[in-house]
Amino acid sequence: MESNAGTTETRSNVTVPDGGEVAAFESLQFTDEIHRLISAPGTDNASSFTALLELPATQVVDLLHSPESVKLIVASAPNVEDFKGSFHFPSNTGLIQKDARFSVFSGEGNNKNEKSNSPEMTSKNSSANLEKAVKSEPAETVSSLPLVSDPTMENRNIKRKDREKKVKGSTKKSKTATNERLEDAEKLPYVHVRARRGQATDSHSLAERARREKINARMKLLQELVPGCNKISGTALVLDEIINHVQSLQRQVEFLSMRLATVNPRIDFNLDSLFTPESGSTMDGGNFPSLVTPLIWPDVQVNGYRKQFQHQWHFDTLKQPIWGREEVCNNYVTLENSLLSCDSSANSATLHANQLKMEL
Amino acid sequence: MDSQHLNPSSLKSRFTARFLRALIKINAQKPISSSSPREIFQRYRRIKVAADKSMAYSVRSRRTWSRATLWKLRSRSRRRLASSGRRSSIKTRTTTTTTTTTTSTNHRAAIVEKTSHEKENKEDHVGLAVQAEELRELVPGGESMDLCNLLDETAHYIKCLTTQVQVMKKIANLYSLE
Repeated sequence: MESNAGTTETRSNVTVPDGGEVAAFESLQFTDEIHRLISAPGTDNASSFTALLELPATQVVDLLHSPESVKLIVASAPNVEDFKGSFHFPSNTGLIQKDARFSVFSGEGNNKNEKSNSPEMTSKNSSANLEKAVKSEPAETVSSLPLVSDPTMENRNIKRKDREKKVKGSTKKSKTATNERLEDAEKLPYVHVRARRGQATDSHSLAERARREKINARMKLLQELVPGCNKISGTALVLDEIINHVQSLQRQVEFLSMRLATVNPRIDFNLDSLFTPESGSTMDGGNFPSLVTPLIWPDVQVNGYRKQFQHQWHFDTLKQPIWGREEVCNNYVTLENSLLSCDSSANSATLHANQLKMEL
Repeated sequence: MDSQHLNPSSLKSRFTARFLRALIKINAQKPISSSSPREIFQRYRRIKVAADKSMAYSVRSRRTWSRATLWKLRSRSRRRLASSGRRSSIKTRTTTTTTTTTTSTNHRAAIVEKTSHEKENKEDHVGLAVQAEELRELVPGGESMDLCNLLDETAHYIKCLTTQVQVMKKIANLYSLE
């Protein structure tokens, strides 16, 4: 009978790898367990096997047709104590799904088996049902297992795929959590229940932690940007400061645009004066504001901020043409240089005006 | 003078260039020395829009807030054209602008109410829902962002606003020299 058990074992092992790597891995684990368990009570197998075969002859049909075969198979667990070798049958025949095997092993009270139960058992409701079925139903169906190969095989394949899907789904949650699980798997031959639970909470807490760190980093950046925020502690107060700062900046833009709206008519006047060809005589005190802007440009030219406009400026100063719109735009760009470079534009403008007056 | 090396492609220079060009346009459109408060108000609005627009254009579409501002401005101008029919009288323009602004503010208020309701119902894990919602109001395009991205956008928005204020201050000082 041992040879039969051995062959059935191999059959189960052969059939299992069809599903996937996870399944194969676990099947290998089971083979180890099975070998261990087989080695211990060697002589009991024969008697138990025959005994089991005799008992539930009628239930074979039920098993063949019903999808409850899983429950029935698992119901063999309580038999384990009665028939020491009986637990082999679920694994030997390769009919019982992994959940069933887990439940069988849990019936043994083996720590490793409990650990192996973890990932699959907790992930599925069916596992809970199986456990319940184990407790509730009488255990007479072990013998029917060898005859129920095909439908249970199908179920097992389906459930294996579901399990794999769930595994993949859990891995998607957080990589670190899966790493933890893998680490646990490496430590133990079977994946632990606690790993699964820890994984669930860890993924949430890890994601939360990462998010918080991101937010804190950005808050620090904002604190540097907003003046006077470094002293404040607490995100709520810092955020209040930031909000106030943004509001004040927006109001400043509004006030400045209002200011520009009121001031601008004079600039139009200045522009008109610019359009006329300029000579030294026009440089009067009255035209000072109008000349402030053009006088800055030669200074800009001298400093050589913008090489692209240098040639234009030479041309302009030498020939003193009537500046068209485009040139005004260019001049405004050079004006922009002055704006960008001068710290206090007013002071610099006056200085330049004086310098140029002196030169001319 | 200090010969600072300017980066011609910096945000500041891009903004200044655009803004000055817009200013010239605005000044050219209007007759000179128009001092009626209404016209000043109109010019003020235009300058403000030009400032925001030039800043948003300087940032292109790299940022959510700039995209939101540009979208708002474009939709406003489209509505203006659609409702006014022809670009003719200034009066229609002003009325349409006021209507569009009111509608936009109403729309915005509705969104804000919605988000405030949602935020009040959901409690942020740090309890910053109120401030987050306020920030969303302030930063354009902030209604549809989570806190993380919102803080990013706020930082960039503050940086751009400070440049804007700097440049506008200098221009105003320059022009008010007398």
